[in-house]
Amino acid sequence: MSLLEIKNAHLKLDNKNILNGVSLSVNKGEVHAIMGPNGSGKSTLSYMLAGRDGYELEDGEILLDGKSLSEMEADERARSGLFLAFQYPVELPGVGGMSFLREAVNSRRKFLGEKELDHLAFVKEARKEASKMFVKDEMLKRAVNVGFSGGEKKRFEILQMSMLKPKVSILDETDSGLDVDALKIVSDGVNSQRNKENAIVVITHYQRLLDYIVPDFVHILSDGVIIKSGGPELALEVEKNGYSGLINAA
Amino acid sequence: MQHSLKDDYANCVKNYTNQFKDNSFRKLACNDFKSWPGPREETWRLSRLGTLSRKKIKPITPNLQKTINGKSKHIGSKIIKFVDGAYRGDLSSEMPLGVNLSSLNDSESLEYLQKLKKSNLNHHPSTNVSLSCTPSIMKLTVKKNIKVKDFFEIIYEGGEESQSVHPVLYVELEENSSLYLIERFNHFSTLAMPLQLTEIRNKASLNSIKIFNDNKETYNLSAHCVHLSEESNLNSFSLIKGGMFTRSETHAYLNGCGSKLSLNGIYISGNNQHHDLTTAIYHDVPDCISKQIVRGVLGGKSTGVFQGKVRVAQDAQRTDGQQMSRAILISENANANAKPELEIYADDVICAHGATVGELDDDQLFYLNSRGVPMDKAREILIKAFLEDMINQSVDNSLHDFVFKEAELALSSIIIKETL
Ligand SMILES: Nc1ncnc2c1ncn2[C@@H]1O[C@H](COP(=O)(O)OP(=O)(O)O)[C@@H](O)[C@H]1O
Ligand SMILES: [Mg+2]
Repeated sequence: MSLLEIKNAHLKLDNKNILNGVSLSVNKGEVHAIMGPNGSGKSTLSYMLAGRDGYELEDGEILLDGKSLSEMEADERARSGLFLAFQYPVELPGVGGMSFLREAVNSRRKFLGEKELDHLAFVKEARKEASKMFVKDEMLKRAVNVGFSGGEKKRFEILQMSMLKPKVSILDETDSGLDVDALKIVSDGVNSQRNKENAIVVITHYQRLLDYIVPDFVHILSDGVIIKSGGPELALEVEKNGYSGLINAA
Repeated sequence: MQHSLKDDYANCVKNYTNQFKDNSFRKLACNDFKSWPGPREETWRLSRLGTLSRKKIKPITPNLQKTINGKSKHIGSKIIKFVDGAYRGDLSSEMPLGVNLSSLNDSESLEYLQKLKKSNLNHHPSTNVSLSCTPSIMKLTVKKNIKVKDFFEIIYEGGEESQSVHPVLYVELEENSSLYLIERFNHFSTLAMPLQLTEIRNKASLNSIKIFNDNKETYNLSAHCVHLSEESNLNSFSLIKGGMFTRSETHAYLNGCGSKLSLNGIYISGNNQHHDLTTAIYHDVPDCISKQIVRGVLGGKSTGVFQGKVRVAQDAQRTDGQQMSRAILISENANANAKPELEIYADDVICAHGATVGELDDDQLFYLNSRGVPMDKAREILIKAFLEDMINQSVDNSLHDFVFKEAELALSSIIIKETL
């Protein structure tokens, strides 16, 4: 059974067809990359999966570990093990980073029937994970994403991923706005979390990220459908010929 | 019919004043209260007193034996108590050296009245009614150069149904003195009309917290006039959470160069509560700063009003005046009105203002949800953050936790109601 199964997903925004029959199977231990030009529906797909209001499926089905997600609200999907790293992480003035992480982690633990971590144990764990992502203590004291640089925001997203230990992570353009050094930190963070039990879907416009996070499969999304799937070599083809060649051929 | 009922309270007030011998100032005040302000009076248009005017109320005769058995939660180490509007020395702390608390005599009371009559609170019902009916005007003085370390806490309590209470206070900080003052309004009466005049002399500094938490049927029409002298400083924060109808009206006169004022407030409203923060800041001399942040959270069928006037006189060059108000509606039936009003007659000024009324931000809610935080909890987190952010900016560090806890208590009751 696949860990994440998207079957024939159709979705409209503002009465406009955005997803036009996306199908995708992701198994345990796999990393998939979804590539596509701007406006092809990548973020829409990720919001749909995460369960954002207004992004309900018109037609089709999505299953996480065999369970249908359609009836679940965003928070329940997250507690069930789905994680979305945002293309544009949201600022939360007044909400401290540490307490935000704790709220998130304890929500997931409660769902899994695990004991909520007490404050000290939590802070220790958070600091350990944060240092791996080069996230300083000082940053965790600040309000979430407020005044963070582009790189800091993305590092904080991956830190959340590492704390939540999701089954399926969707990373929406985690490479955008990163310089090479930051890209390396973020990719190392993601790679260190790859294991046999989870799966990662990397969404990106550029091939560059896939040099660092090497996918098992690559899919090309255009106008809300996957027009081609293949191995890592497909990403190189995009790099060489651009999307237009692939789209025209399809 | 309605007319005669309206006059009823004015008559009660008049009769009540007959019992006093020292009534020169009372007579003057009493003559200026004919009836409640009507909806045609601009500053009362958004906070109407129709329902109040139809209630049968009379001024209370303070019971000087009364003690209140509620749980006391003193945070100040010096307590000053008013019960039924009357100062109660037997329930209050002794004043430390350099601080004086006493009642005004006749001629001082008349002077007090004249000062208020010169302000724009001259027509306020609490000015006139409370000066008519107060047991006595109490004056708290901090002597020159005295920096008071203890927190002072004034607790206003007592009152009965169908009666009105009239505590009147005069606070004077002499030159170069400083004080932390917490005031808690916990009245049980149908109507409370606290009146206060505060004078902050040169280089003196006052940190003030007011917590309006009267009984759920109470109308509180607080009126406060503040004068700031040269290089003086007032950092003031009001939390309005209790009562049926609470209006806190403050007029602050910056009449000494280099004075600094923060006049901040939060209102947290639920059920049918009506909360009103009305302020007027008068920059009459150059080089003063005023900052104002106001935030509101409204649930149920509550209404919030913020009226903020800032007037910069022609001579008040290099004034820096900032005003920002935001209200968040957490229920469909809640309502918020913001009326900023800038009158600027000087040309070299920095003044900014902004007022917004809205709901919680969908992107922020979704971000929290996407991390597994359930919707109710996400809303709670964002509402608390909205207030905590502001409390951190505007309340002295030493009082953060106290103020935030007071806000949290009120929040939890309105949030629970919204999610049921
Ligand atoms: N809220 C919305 N309402 C209507 N159209 C939208 C909305 N959000 C995005 N779109 C449109 O959907 C298409 C896909 O957008 P998006 O998923 O953000 O693309 P990508 O992430 O691949 O760049 C674009 O044409 C965009 O203009
Ligand atoms: Mg996108």
